[in-house]
Amino acid sequence: MAEDRIVERQRVFEQYKRDVKDRGKPFYPYAMFHDTVMSFVVVVVIIGLAVIWKWTTPDPHTGFGPAGSTDHPDQAGWLGKLYDEPADPGTISFVPRPDWYFYFLFYLLRIFKWPESVILGTVGIPTIALLLLIAMPFLDQRAERRPLHRPVAMVAAILAVITMGVLTYRGATARESLGTENLTHVPSWAKQQGFANNPVAVEGAKLFAVVGCLNCHTYLGVGSHNLGAPDLSAEGSKNKGIAFQIAHLKCPSCVNPGSPMPSFANQGAKNLRALATFLEASKGGK
Amino acid sequence: MATRDARYERIMYPVDWLEERSGLVGGLRYFLFRKVPGDTNWFQTLGSATLTAFLIQALTGSILAMYYKPDPKNAYPSIVHISNDIWAGWLVRGMHRWGASVFIILMFLHMGRVFLFGAYKYPRELNWIIGVLLLALGLAEGFTGYLLPWDQTSYWATTVGININGTAPFLGPYLAQFLQGGTYINADTLSRFYAIHMLLIPGAIFALIGLHLYLVIRLGVTSPPWSKHPAGSGPLAPEPEPPRSGLTRPAPRRGVRG
Repeated sequence: MAEDRIVERQRVFEQYKRDVKDRGKPFYPYAMFHDTVMSFVVVVVIIGLAVIWKWTTPDPHTGFGPAGSTDHPDQAGWLGKLYDEPADPGTISFVPRPDWYFYFLFYLLRIFKWPESVILGTVGIPTIALLLLIAMPFLDQRAERRPLHRPVAMVAAILAVITMGVLTYRGATARESLGTENLTHVPSWAKQQGFANNPVAVEGAKLFAVVGCLNCHTYLGVGSHNLGAPDLSAEGSKNKGIAFQIAHLKCPSCVNPGSPMPSFANQGAKNLRALATFLEASKGGK
Repeated sequence: MATRDARYERIMYPVDWLEERSGLVGGLRYFLFRKVPGDTNWFQTLGSATLTAFLIQALTGSILAMYYKPDPKNAYPSIVHISNDIWAGWLVRGMHRWGASVFIILMFLHMGRVFLFGAYKYPRELNWIIGVLLLALGLAEGFTGYLLPWDQTSYWATTVGININGTAPFLGPYLAQFLQGGTYINADTLSRFYAIHMLLIPGAIFALIGLHLYLVIRLGVTSPPWSKHPAGSGPLAPEPEPPRSGLTRPAPRRGVRG
């Protein structure tokens, strides 16, 4: 049976070659003309995007863009900033946002929770998707090529496209809170958690609000849940101790193997102690 | 006549010389004049469009490499310099930045087209797999290139990206260490990403594109599956006999077609 199928598909391919030889048209000029037109469109689109990116960004050096603008990287055109502030390993008051074609992955990591299932989002699902793609010609061995006669393949493809589209859209519109906005929550946190009389913990809370913790963690309903990072409202109720918190902030993956959290060692001993004190004082709120 | 032939021979001499030694001219002729199914359509230009986008990346990337400095102190200033001071630097960088997006969109569209046409089926399975590898390498180019401006966005996105690689079982920590050139993101990380971005992966992409095209030429392209008479379905049926056209014209005689 299987042998019949192999012989059959070989026969069809031989027929394909004969048909193309008898009834085909030469690549040049017919197909090549289409290819050339399409390639030209691609080049024009790319140049167009580059021009829009630059021309809509205010920039006094080149004279493009609105007059009277300043040379500040914060100025964004229609397609975003030309470049951001220079990299600064010392401040993490920054949303780790990838390029748009990784938004689906970025958002996937909001769905899975640290630590039980985060590996599904970071490695599991992307690896399975890649392996499924590679395996596809072997999973689908029928000779049928007409879309309407391949319902399983078509439904799977449509679901995959919708999933990618939704994840990309959600990743693109995911809201991030700004450090300055977060600062306004500190007094309320101090009251709810009852550490208002502990100046070190309050100082830690302020750091916590601005150095970027809330880009991935949530705290009493503030912040965004990214990369599977846990809610920290009740971190202190685990009573892990200030020394543990400092060690963890310095090198998260040393304490917690596989943690995607970046190191905060650059904050220095004083700030780390304040952050740790704040975390230990966070017992879940009233 | 004889003089014209002689002149033609003299003009074509370099081509003959090349052909005699390399066979490349014959190869090019085969490539250009090979037959493709008569019903191929516009969707089947997406592959060559993707190739064009990749070649633009290679070209603009080479130009950027002439001005870009892959160390943490100079990377950001060199990007600012390219964007503001170098003649048409903004254009080259903009084309590279947005060409990357176009390249990735086109890879996905091309893959979608191949899927829709069922063109990954026998005997083109291997070319589908090579295409998937190219897609993965293209995304890896996006990931490694994102760090190079060395601004806040790229620095922190890459920090987290590397950490995510590190969560993979078994190989993860080694992969993260390899990417960073150490246990933490550091000065070597940038030059390492640069080398991976502009030598290692593009080299692999070029090689795989070569294989991809070789297989396209060897196996041919498919007819659209909804074509009335796709290649592979056998020779066209002979033209049907025109029907009797009533009383005014005699029925055509059988077997004596013009």
